[in-house]
Amino acid sequence: MPKKSDTARKLEDVGIDIDGEVESAEEDKKAKGKGAKKTAAGKRGKAVTSEDGEDEDEDDEPPRGRRAAKKKKAAQADEEDSDDDIPQRRCAGNRRRGKVRESGGDGENKKSGRKSKRGGNKKQKDKGKGKDKDNDKDSDKDEKKKKNSSGDDSKSDEEEESMSEGEMAKLMEEVEEKKKLIANIRNKPWRMKRRLKVLKEAQQFVDKFEGALGKGKGRKLYAYKVMMMKKWIKFQRDFENFRTSCIPWERKIKEVESHFGSSVASYFIFLRWMYGMNLVLFGLTFGLVVIPEVLMGLPYGSIPRKTVPRPEQATAMDYSVLTDFNGYCKYSVLFYGYYNNQRTIGFLKFRLPLSYLLVGIGSFGYSLMVVIRTMAKNADVGGGDGEDSEFTFAWKMFTSWDYLIGNAETADNKFASITTSFKESIVDEQENQKDENIHLRRFLRVLANFLITCTLGGSGYLIYFVVKRSQEFANMDNLSWYEKNEMEIIMSLLGLVGPMLFETIAELEEYHPRIALKWQLGRIFALFLGNLYTFLLALFDEVNSKLAEEDSIKNASIWFVKEYYANFSANNPNYTGTPPPLDPSDGIRGPCWETAVGLEFVKLTISDIQVTYLTILIGDFLRALIVRFLNYCWCWDLEAGWPSYGEFDISGNVLGLVFNQGMIWMGAFYAPGLVGINVLRLLSSMYYQCWAVMACNVPHERVFKASKSNNFYMGLLLLILFLSLLPVVYTIMTLPPSFDCGPFSGKAKMIDIVMETIDMDLPAFMGTILGYLANPGLIIAAVLLMVLAIYYLNSVSQAYQNANMELKKKMQMARDEDKNRRNNKDSTNQVMKDLEDLLPKNAQTSHAHPEKNAEKRHDQGGKSPKVKPGSAGNDVRLQKDVSLASANPNARGPVTRAPGPRGPGPLPGQPGAGRGQGPPPRR
Amino acid sequence: MGSRASSLLREEDIEEIKKETGFSHSQITRLYSRFHSLDKGENGALSREDFQRIPELAINPLGDRIINAFFPEGEDQVNFRGFMRTLAHFRPVEDNEKNKVLTPGEPLNSRTNKLLFAFRLYDLDRDDKISRDELLQVLRMMVGVNISDEQLGSIADRTIQEADTNGDMCISFNEFTKVLEKVDVEQKMSIRFLH
Repeated sequence: MPKKSDTARKLEDVGIDIDGEVESAEEDKKAKGKGAKKTAAGKRGKAVTSEDGEDEDEDDEPPRGRRAAKKKKAAQADEEDSDDDIPQRRCAGNRRRGKVRESGGDGENKKSGRKSKRGGNKKQKDKGKGKDKDNDKDSDKDEKKKKNSSGDDSKSDEEEESMSEGEMAKLMEEVEEKKKLIANIRNKPWRMKRRLKVLKEAQQFVDKFEGALGKGKGRKLYAYKVMMMKKWIKFQRDFENFRTSCIPWERKIKEVESHFGSSVASYFIFLRWMYGMNLVLFGLTFGLVVIPEVLMGLPYGSIPRKTVPRPEQATAMDYSVLTDFNGYCKYSVLFYGYYNNQRTIGFLKFRLPLSYLLVGIGSFGYSLMVVIRTMAKNADVGGGDGEDSEFTFAWKMFTSWDYLIGNAETADNKFASITTSFKESIVDEQENQKDENIHLRRFLRVLANFLITCTLGGSGYLIYFVVKRSQEFANMDNLSWYEKNEMEIIMSLLGLVGPMLFETIAELEEYHPRIALKWQLGRIFALFLGNLYTFLLALFDEVNSKLAEEDSIKNASIWFVKEYYANFSANNPNYTGTPPPLDPSDGIRGPCWETAVGLEFVKLTISDIQVTYLTILIGDFLRALIVRFLNYCWCWDLEAGWPSYGEFDISGNVLGLVFNQGMIWMGAFYAPGLVGINVLRLLSSMYYQCWAVMACNVPHERVFKASKSNNFYMGLLLLILFLSLLPVVYTIMTLPPSFDCGPFSGKAKMIDIVMETIDMDLPAFMGTILGYLANPGLIIAAVLLMVLAIYYLNSVSQAYQNANMELKKKMQMARDEDKNRRNNKDSTNQVMKDLEDLLPKNAQTSHAHPEKNAEKRHDQGGKSPKVKPGSAGNDVRLQKDVSLASANPNARGPVTRAPGPRGPGPLPGQPGAGRGQGPPPRR
Repeated sequence: MGSRASSLLREEDIEEIKKETGFSHSQITRLYSRFHSLDKGENGALSREDFQRIPELAINPLGDRIINAFFPEGEDQVNFRGFMRTLAHFRPVEDNEKNKVLTPGEPLNSRTNKLLFAFRLYDLDRDDKISRDELLQVLRMMVGVNISDEQLGSIADRTIQEADTNGDMCISFNEFTKVLEKVDVEQKMSIRFLH
């Protein structure tokens, strides 16, 4: 579920959702009372629209319309026909008035309403109503048919009004009566035959005279319109339901949330979001690069870059080679090197190299846009609700159950989620109440940060050391397995040990788990960044050496081809004509560093997936199995004692996801297939982790509420995106692409493909325009403009923020004021305020007086405008307040808000406990 | 079925119920058929077992409390009048009713009465106060055994502390009203009965 504002969420949790969208109770009733309903519907069918689904549509119509209609009824002071005139009539009324409303005859209607209000007795009211109807009719005519000129119309309106007022009223009454009869007919103790007859007559009468009253003609059209409107509304509701049910994994996530709390759910929501984004990237890459290449590009084996070289061919299909993405995998569409540098491919003249570059850049652009937009949206949420932390527990207590739940499974979930939410607020509460030795805490926190800095520095040095060593090793032969893989092993170990170490150290700090999670995330992030950049540096070293190698190979390959032909003619002196072309699998090739880089990323991703899944399988599943089943025959309680069940590691999983995404972003340019792999990974990990968390993990010891927006995750993601953007853009802009593989081979730089397109495909003037645009003068001006815009928008947003704060303060003040007034009715009176300031002292010195005081207060404060029905026993309450004030003269102490314009915020006579800021409860 | 059920209902009864509860005629007849279908004993009154057969109530941790709310003190049968009286609490407040000046007390579906109904759910011993023990009992129903007694106790304490303004360690109806004053009870505690 997309994040909601906190209030909305709270209300949802909290609401005694008796009227809900689910309407299961109602549904039930509907089902049970179907017989009755059906007969009713059948009987009134003709009179209404004889539309089968009418009844349901009627129910589905949101109460808004109904209420509006009722309001109008009320305006006519039509007290007589309360509820006993049943749907048909109401429906008609609805329709009638609705029509007026719609056709813009609102003013008229109101006017007549006022008129009728003035009328004293019932007769006049009815007349008013009659008039009203005339007006309606006329306005209808006016709007719908547009036949009469307006002046004419108003004249006729008056005429009719004056002429047939009495008659109209009478007729109306009769019609109403008949309608009533139709409605009640099935309750009449008559024979069916008679009932039918009477019904028919009555209906005819109603039809005829309603028509005569002027609703006959426009009515059909209107009825049709109403019907369509209802259908439309119903459709919209259905569509909304459908859309909700289309949100993938919503149920799964809700289930996890109800058992593990919102923090764990936030990870899964993040995962789902990532999946969505990657799906788009996948669509881009596959739709514009991979599939065109497969369909229209040269087939496998046609040119050297699309062929496995001869020395490798023997093992190219081996499983072990394929799992390393060597062999046939390396020379497939999955990697950069496979693509040809033909300008256009296929009959569509698809410009593949250009498309390749644009997709590479477009992926970054899209990702940036999406991440930033989501962040902005998340930042939006959370504003505007100032009223948390008041009555949290009471609300949870009284309003958490959703009374419409009719499904046992949902009930279980709700049950769990109530429990979880209680736990969450317990943790929040405990955190609020902690106030021990602040100095000790500070010291511990500083110490913890110091330790962590040391750890980070140490790991950084270790990585540096290992990289150096690996460079030495690179020049040596016959290395042991450890020496070959030293760097990977050290890095994995660091990645494994570091977070654990951090977690242990973080316990010193005693932060709220939510904040602790952020710190933890930040620290692990720093650690991982070290790893990532070491990896990158190593990669660049490799790339540079390969680039150096390339030149010589280039010459060698040309020489090789020449030699081949020379040899051919030397060996077959009799052969005339051109010699057969060189087999694509022979020949000397360049190292193709792009494919090597892509390969590296793919391998890394795959090994990451393996490690993650195995960790879950062993660390969680196996552990859970052992704990569960060995517990029967073990010397201590495994479930409660040491190994216990695993908790879901939020920080590790989130970071894993973020770093994985970074890999994808970096690698996707060199290995388009990587995006596909990633989509599969996210998809499977959604199911796998959902299962794992439900099956083998236990909720955190301290379940905590996730922060309102997961902008922290997004922030990490943005950082990673930026970091992965840099190397890719650097290679595109500066490094020369390999000479014999990939879509950009033969160019000095990858970006040249754009220049080429501008030169060759776009009309000449476009080229000049673009040339001007690239002018430094223009660019500097644009940058300046942007800076100014940023500055301006920033200051504007700050101003808004201030205004927002101000408004919030005001709202809070108004609320307090309101409450005060409701509680002791006299906070607006300055004199009384002064009196009250004196009150606690009085009460303290003499306990006999408060009652008198209270009475006095009541007398003087009697001018309060509103008396809530809820505060009926006000006298009693007042006394209590006062006596409490006497017992607790320091009630003013805990007030921390800024003082309002009227002096000190809440009144001293008022207990502070009701505000949620009272003294901490004894525990 | 509908006509048979409604034929058991006399016109005067309907009128009276209408006056008392504010339901419309057809609503009454419809609810009567529902009442009838719930009444497995066919004796014109519902027992607790009849209510417990409703799935929504069966799975509701507070279901028993809700069922109790249907029964007047000391009785274990509820007739149609009583049934309707309870249901009337959930009738939506309509706009025209708000403006109306009502002579005989407040209608059953007023905000106060709605709240009172909710209050009664928690007030197990009907002494017009929600005590700590009552809160604990309800909490037990709501969270089962997943939270320790100690924590439940502190939740109950905390709840009372939040709501209690007069220091008697109980939540009175007035205090209850104040706690829920920001909740849109009129809307939340309304069922849109079919007309």
